[in-house]
Amino acid sequence: MGQTVVEVNDLSRSFGSKRALDGVTFHTMAGQVYGLVGANGAGKTTLLKHLLGLLRAATGSVRVFGLDPVRDPVGVLGRVGYLSEERDLPEWMRIDELMAYTQAFHPTWDASYARELIDTFGLDPSKKIKELSKGMRAQAGLVTAVAHRPELLILDEPSSGLDAVVRRDILDAIVRTVTDDGRTVIFSSHLLDEVERMSDHVTLIHQGRVALSGVLDDVRGSYQRSRLHFVEHLVQPPVLETAMVIEGGGRTWSVVHSGSLEQFRRAVVARGGEIVESRNATLEEIFMARAGRSRQVEAA
Amino acid sequence: MRSPSLAILWEVWRATRVEAAWKLALGSGAGIFILVLSYSQREIVKDANAAIALVGIVIPHLIGWLSMARLNNGRAGFPLYLHYTHPIRTAVVVGLPMAYLTAVSAAIYLVSALLLRATSGYAFPLLPVAAWMAALTVIGVAATWSTRNRSVQVNMMVSATAIAYLISMQRLTGVEIPDNYDWPPRLWPTLFDWPLTDYAVIALIGVASFGITVAGVARQRRGDGWAEVLPAQRGGVWAWLVDSIRVPCPTSSATRAQMWFDLKSNGLPMLTIGVALASVILLVSAVSSPIDAALNANPGLHASCPISECFYVRSAPPLLTLLSLFVMLFLGRNAFSIRSRQGRTYIGAFEATQPHGAVQMAVLKLLVRSACLLAALIAIGASAWLSLPLLGDALFIQMWGVPLNSKSSVLNDAVATLTGYEQLSLVIVMGVGLVIWVALFAGLGALWARYSRRVNIAASSLLLCGLAFAFLAVAQRNGNVSAAVIHAILVAARWTAAAAIVGATVYLYWSCLAERTLAPRYALGALLLSGAFVAAWMALLGAAGVQFASMPWTSIASMLLWPLFLPLFTSALAPWSYSRVRHT
Repeated sequence: MGQTVVEVNDLSRSFGSKRALDGVTFHTMAGQVYGLVGANGAGKTTLLKHLLGLLRAATGSVRVFGLDPVRDPVGVLGRVGYLSEERDLPEWMRIDELMAYTQAFHPTWDASYARELIDTFGLDPSKKIKELSKGMRAQAGLVTAVAHRPELLILDEPSSGLDAVVRRDILDAIVRTVTDDGRTVIFSSHLLDEVERMSDHVTLIHQGRVALSGVLDDVRGSYQRSRLHFVEHLVQPPVLETAMVIEGGGRTWSVVHSGSLEQFRRAVVARGGEIVESRNATLEEIFMARAGRSRQVEAA
Repeated sequence: MRSPSLAILWEVWRATRVEAAWKLALGSGAGIFILVLSYSQREIVKDANAAIALVGIVIPHLIGWLSMARLNNGRAGFPLYLHYTHPIRTAVVVGLPMAYLTAVSAAIYLVSALLLRATSGYAFPLLPVAAWMAALTVIGVAATWSTRNRSVQVNMMVSATAIAYLISMQRLTGVEIPDNYDWPPRLWPTLFDWPLTDYAVIALIGVASFGITVAGVARQRRGDGWAEVLPAQRGGVWAWLVDSIRVPCPTSSATRAQMWFDLKSNGLPMLTIGVALASVILLVSAVSSPIDAALNANPGLHASCPISECFYVRSAPPLLTLLSLFVMLFLGRNAFSIRSRQGRTYIGAFEATQPHGAVQMAVLKLLVRSACLLAALIAIGASAWLSLPLLGDALFIQMWGVPLNSKSSVLNDAVATLTGYEQLSLVIVMGVGLVIWVALFAGLGALWARYSRRVNIAASSLLLCGLAFAFLAVAQRNGNVSAAVIHAILVAARWTAAAAIVGATVYLYWSCLAERTLAPRYALGALLLSGAFVAAWMALLGAAGVQFASMPWTSIASMLLWPLFLPLFTSALAPWSYSRVRHT
């Protein structure tokens, strides 16, 4: 296990009466890819902004490389690459000026890598940012984020609004960054298949709280989707303790559940049914089950 | 919201309410203040101040509606573009805000004029000027909304303002009054009694502006406005200047790169505008005398001129100089590059996430902006100084009752008699004063972006205090309040203000040092700079004949408190506020 890169402990943040983060604890280790998932407004961007020092921790603490990003922005941001969802780049700059400007802040800037990425993306260095399409802006932003070989790469919805080709370019670049030893990536996304493909760890944020966090394979292994068959026709969904989502009707039901499969099988048999088929749940199914469940609890 | 119309009106009210309040408060407050200043003066000074107060309540309407432009982040075109996707006709989307802004402009002028009438007794004109204010507003709105072409916008606005200025000058100075300026308050009811045809013209202007704007916005809504195909022109003169200044970005250090960023994006374009204005002042001055001579020699024009020698072009350079100074001070206000879009004020994440300390970033931005502003002001000042001999003495006698040109030698002699130390002091006071100006505006802008509600409340309270003092002065003049009470209130206010700046400075330094925003060596440097500013200030006061030895310590303390604490306060406020807006 590598060293700790990010330590967020009991972080809370409110905007007016809206509780954006509520007691969030989040740790990352070097050399891993962390996916942050959650619905719009769940608090993903707020958490990432705290890591960058753009937001000050109201309660709780934030440490990146053991430093407070608000008190020591130079120490933290010098080792971080960041691509925002808004692709907030100065519109008057040309791409070559953008590269030169960013290079000045990062002694570790790898000019040949930057040039290689620019060529790969097919960007014209003499073009101004304001003349670029949304996808090209994302690509230009990504070059500035990764060309100094950051120890931590933070991507806030990197593929939001981009077509499949640009999305693949960005994901490939992430993979290349991660393949360098000891580098860490934290990225937020609502595209769960993307997170599933890229991440080693996944953290689900729901209504400002960490609803689920762990190694992706462990998370997926601890949730199953099972198809059940009952002898009798059931009017109401069967009551099963570890079930999170139950869909279907009559004799056939589909259930997303947690815990051990054997325990679940016993519970099903006790109610006069059997498991016809069972597999690990997808991240989307887990996400829907966790988010949907808390919504139901709220409604109740 | 029960209807789209109400929703649009609510939106415009929400976006412009603060600006409407400060336009009302600023115009009325400045007007009342000027009137109060002249209470113990001669009748001619009172009349002159009343005229200045009238100009004061008109000027806020000449700059247009800044809060609407802010919705667009200063870009050209219709600011309420979010309505394009709503099922509302373009005429409604355009007409309602246009009517609202026009009506509010006229209403603000009317309320200001009524307040000045009540406090001074002068017959400040109501409907005639309010109608023309409405006309100028509607033209301004049409110019800025109907097209994305900045050149067309600027030309329309400049033409409208110039025509309004020429018409008003022609009407107000139509009667030559010996030993006085030509439009004293006693003549206002007659001078401002516009013919009915004026109102018909204003109505026509309104209809035409509405039609042009609806057509222009409809093109923008369809996406086939011709400016769409010229993206390079979209940013206007400023963007053109930024593009034209081709200086390569240094990569040797972060500080140099950041300096390049601020110089290229803000500093050099601002300096170029200053130099351009200075050149225009000099050029107009050079050609004004021959043109005026030719116009005065023209029998047709000479017949309409009530005096032997009228001033046509020669009146432009002094006014252009004043306007240029205001323009440059206005351009120098947003040193931290705080942006506004659709009600949101922020600094861009791109700059905020660069690995550069908040204090270094703030100080660098302030120094770059101040240096460029200072250079621009020096260029304008030098140009105005060189222009004086070209305009002739008679102009200044006519405009301000003083032969300014002949007095220039007095100013020259005064500067020449200063010792080297005093001249250095003058340079320090002017330089540091300008940095304080830039830093104060930048700091307040950042505070407004971060704590807008609290800053609005504080600013409104200060304006209300100012108005209260003005009314107290009026009450004293009418004999309702004794002079001793006024004196006691003024002394209390002065010490309260002194305590406030001392308290605020101590709090800011304590907060910055506790949060490690500022290093102790920065605080020491600020203290030394403030000390140098005070020493320079004292030297200049000494040169002006102030005898410190014969003064009580309280007077000396109150005289030196502000020069000492203002630089100290500003030097903490600017980085503190930048840090607050960077790390929200």
